[in-house]
Amino acid sequence: MKPAVFSYQSPRTLDEVFGELAEHGSDARVLAGGQSLIRLMNARTETPGVLVDINRIPGLDEVTVEDGVVRIGALVRQRTSEVSPVIREHTPVFSEAGAEVAHVSVRERGTVVGSIAFADPCAELPTALVALDGEIVARSTRGERVIPAEQMFLGPYRTALAEDEMAVEARLPALPTGRTGSAFLEITRRHGELPVCGVASILRLDDDGQITEARISVGAVGDRPQRARAAESALLGRTTDPEVWREAGELAAREIEPRPTVHGSSAYRRHLASVVTRRSLSRAAARALEGAHHV
Amino acid sequence: MTDTTTTDPAAATGEGFRWIGKPVKRKEDPKLVTGRATYVGDVNPPGMLHAAILASPHAHARIVSIDTSRAKALPGVVAVLTGAEAAEVVGPMTAFCAEPVPQHAIAVEKTRYWGEAVAAVAAVDRYVAEDACRLIDVEYEVLDPLVDMVEAMDPAAVKVHDTLEGNVVFHADKSYGEVDADFARADRVIRTHARWHRMGAQPIETAGAVCSWDPFTASMTIWSNSSFYNFLPWSFASMLGISTSRMRMIPCAVGGSFGSKHLLNKVIAISGALTKVTGKPVRYLEDRLENIAANDNVGCDRIYDGELAITDDGEFLSLKLHCIDDYGAYFQFGPGQHGCALAQPVGPYRINSLQYEVSAVLTNKVQQGFFRGAGADHGNFILERLVDAAADELGIDRAEIRRRNFIQPDQFPYKIPSGNVYDSGDYEGVLDRALTLADVEYWRAEQKRLRAEGRYIGIGLATCQERTAYNATEWWFLYDNPPLPATSTPESIKIDIDAFGGVRAELGCPVWGNSPQTVASQVIAEEFGIDPADVSIEHNDSTSGAISAGPGGSRLTVMLSGAARGAAGQLREKMIRIAAHAMEVSPEDVELSDGVFRPRGVPTHTGLTFADVAMKAHLFKQTNPEGESSGLVATYTYDHPLASMPTEDRKDTGAFYPIVSHACHIPIVEVDPESGLVTMLKYYAVNDCGTVMHPKLVEGQVIGGIAQGIGAALMEEYRYDEQGALISGSFREYLMPSSHEVPEIVLEHQETPSPVTPYGVKGAGEGGRLIAPTAIAAAVDDALKPFGVWIDELPMTPERLVEVIARAEDRAEDEESGR
Repeated sequence: MKPAVFSYQSPRTLDEVFGELAEHGSDARVLAGGQSLIRLMNARTETPGVLVDINRIPGLDEVTVEDGVVRIGALVRQRTSEVSPVIREHTPVFSEAGAEVAHVSVRERGTVVGSIAFADPCAELPTALVALDGEIVARSTRGERVIPAEQMFLGPYRTALAEDEMAVEARLPALPTGRTGSAFLEITRRHGELPVCGVASILRLDDDGQITEARISVGAVGDRPQRARAAESALLGRTTDPEVWREAGELAAREIEPRPTVHGSSAYRRHLASVVTRRSLSRAAARALEGAHHV
Repeated sequence: MTDTTTTDPAAATGEGFRWIGKPVKRKEDPKLVTGRATYVGDVNPPGMLHAAILASPHAHARIVSIDTSRAKALPGVVAVLTGAEAAEVVGPMTAFCAEPVPQHAIAVEKTRYWGEAVAAVAAVDRYVAEDACRLIDVEYEVLDPLVDMVEAMDPAAVKVHDTLEGNVVFHADKSYGEVDADFARADRVIRTHARWHRMGAQPIETAGAVCSWDPFTASMTIWSNSSFYNFLPWSFASMLGISTSRMRMIPCAVGGSFGSKHLLNKVIAISGALTKVTGKPVRYLEDRLENIAANDNVGCDRIYDGELAITDDGEFLSLKLHCIDDYGAYFQFGPGQHGCALAQPVGPYRINSLQYEVSAVLTNKVQQGFFRGAGADHGNFILERLVDAAADELGIDRAEIRRRNFIQPDQFPYKIPSGNVYDSGDYEGVLDRALTLADVEYWRAEQKRLRAEGRYIGIGLATCQERTAYNATEWWFLYDNPPLPATSTPESIKIDIDAFGGVRAELGCPVWGNSPQTVASQVIAEEFGIDPADVSIEHNDSTSGAISAGPGGSRLTVMLSGAARGAAGQLREKMIRIAAHAMEVSPEDVELSDGVFRPRGVPTHTGLTFADVAMKAHLFKQTNPEGESSGLVATYTYDHPLASMPTEDRKDTGAFYPIVSHACHIPIVEVDPESGLVTMLKYYAVNDCGTVMHPKLVEGQVIGGIAQGIGAALMEEYRYDEQGALISGSFREYLMPSSHEVPEIVLEHQETPSPVTPYGVKGAGEGGRLIAPTAIAAAVDDALKPFGVWIDELPMTPERLVEVIARAEDRAEDEESGR
């Protein structure tokens, strides 16, 4: 378990990073927290020729809010995000999902944007990002573009980032205030493991208790986190009721194409999609009814 | 308490001792916790090279050609060996089976499992060695992989070994006692199936060796974490093609074994072959992936069908066990894991007769070896499941049916139908204490209350044997014509006392988790009336002449106690003779207390100190009794205290595993029927390992074993795809319980001393893992009783549980609709 030969770069500016990526393309890998990449390099599953360490670049570790959008820099650690009062206030489901990522020692090193760019189909933060209609800011020597969350994830470990692009920021639109509730719920085989199913849901109710907005993002079941659109539509206009959550769960389970792994067959994952969606919606609804969208 | 005379073991209890049974500080700890212990990875002789292996990407393939020229050309590479080339300098690995199943450390001609070594590289560092492995070009002819043991039994199936008739490498169908008659008089026969998938030990430290060949003297020095360097050193020498007298094996600290580091002749063969061709020391230390995939010591993989003949009163009459066991690609230890299971097939119950049928099947997977439990774990599972099924069918409480069938305290020594003997026990005492400890009444009330809320908690119960102080005869006694006679599996120690009275002991066994230094110092301190902290301990290498089978089969504390007491006793008697002579009293009138020899009953006498007598013994022969030689050195080898030969006709295995501990486990679990997740809420255990040598050490063994048992029950599993590739090859797929999954464990001891061992101690190394899986299975089906679930497969992964619940619900619907 020793990595293959690679060269190590430690630039002090983003422009230098973009330069390295433009020059080496798919042979270069960006190193942020290293919680996935180093392991894969040791197993030689990943054999980049150039490792571009961004940890010495100033200004990438900030969480800010601008015009109702939370911005998370490329070096913001998962632990920082998890405990950030700003993120907790505006996008509590992101904090809730963040608390489920591995163990504290991993979260102290791993970055939010790194987890998103790595695109493990089971990972919690991409699932929450998709529920929040978040965005990824990608930059290269060619310029900058913004990628909507749903278009970011193409499949297991595959994203819309081009070879020469780096994800420099994640953007999370704040949830509406008022009767909005959200929840992230997952099933893991062991504490701190990646989930076999994780669901982030967001519900907004009107004064009569009718659902005016529903967002369901199902992670770990398919080959990427996906919105359960049919289930979302079916919820509109309904009231909060266990039977409604059950129906939505079944719809969600039907619309996600499951991907088997050693931890669960397609059938089991589909089954869990239904169970966890139902439970997640129920929890989100309870929070919406409390009138607060805190976790 | 100052009485230091040897206590009659039959009357032994921890209360009569000064150091036995006391939580003295663990002698091994300071080095281990400060990182000063020397592991294989810390051994760095000058000029040492590092080895890596190229692992087979196929489960079953013929090696058509191997081209190592690109690897050899890489700067930093010193040698590259294919299997055929390695076989020219080292022989096949030692095997204890009677069948022709040759096994080379590096595959020759054919690779038989995914991850098997097909070539090895020695280079200036492990990075370069791994780089070189990727430059080795192998052409394979892929053969049909044998992944399913039942399919492999088909005579038409492709063969793992062409030297064999088929893949059923061993079959035995043994009857002990009047099985047919007992079944004929039974009111009913309880049947259940059981499936236990393969698991592995997964120690923190992997297997490894540093071998250093000296071509001038044709001698080899070996540092390794094998435990057999003083038991079977000749087996390594013959494999390496060197003289036994020119081999020196030096033990290293061992970072966990759980049974997986007995022989380890693969790592020694690979390092040995590479040092022979390079003339430089070579270290081959498996990395994590290699250890998981190819450690040669995974656990059993069994399919059972069991039948228990009973009366309507719940009396057990006879037991039939039919087992198919997937041994993987090799058969290194023969059917030893069934020898082990035959130590206690009838558990703590009076069962008159036994049929035991086993088919050992070879497939394209890494081989079985010995892993904590060693085959008796699975035996406990099928037996306890049959007992629970009997209780459920008769409507008798699961505790009550056990009570009715326990062997009673006045029946010991108890000979089981197959021949092994249980030395002692008080099973009902343990059960009663466990039921009280767990407050089962409270949990039943909780179960009822929570079920009303839609939550499912369950209370498990298992009462199992833990055969201890093993005898390696179990590896081969199932053969009708065994390749070797019975062994007493001995343990040696050497103690010397210097002229100042300093006490030093040299052990033949390595430093494993069972704390041999602490145990030896407790025993020696007990015998000499000194402080264990004053006893200095060394570990001998293989040139000392000490015989030590080392840790394994929960033997070391028992056997080392016997050796230490024997050697200490010889020295103490000699010192008493010398002291008596000097004080002009007879030796019988001398007592040794707090390190001072005095005339018995005269506490005011100044006496002679330990140092006084030691100096006399060393230097002043003329002042000592006539004929007493100078010096204080004793070597003592303790043979198994209660072992007998199998009979010629194999109708009786003989006593081979007779020091039998016992425990009752009561786990409390909660099951989420929708996700299939099981949460351990609480765990109660009452353990009886005779006299508790050291409460902290026993507690560590039992709790660690229960944690591994939780893994066995819920998550640990080797998984292979249809092509035989290992798909659980890292700890992301092969899950083990962490501290989050292990609940509070409440442990108590009952002490039923063994009448045949020193101080009455019994082994305690495997009980946790031998019992926890079956106890947890019972808890899960108790939790899911409303669904009619019956657990017969381990591990109970969430997916399996969801399927089992769905099947039970389908069955219930079918019954309801009368289909």
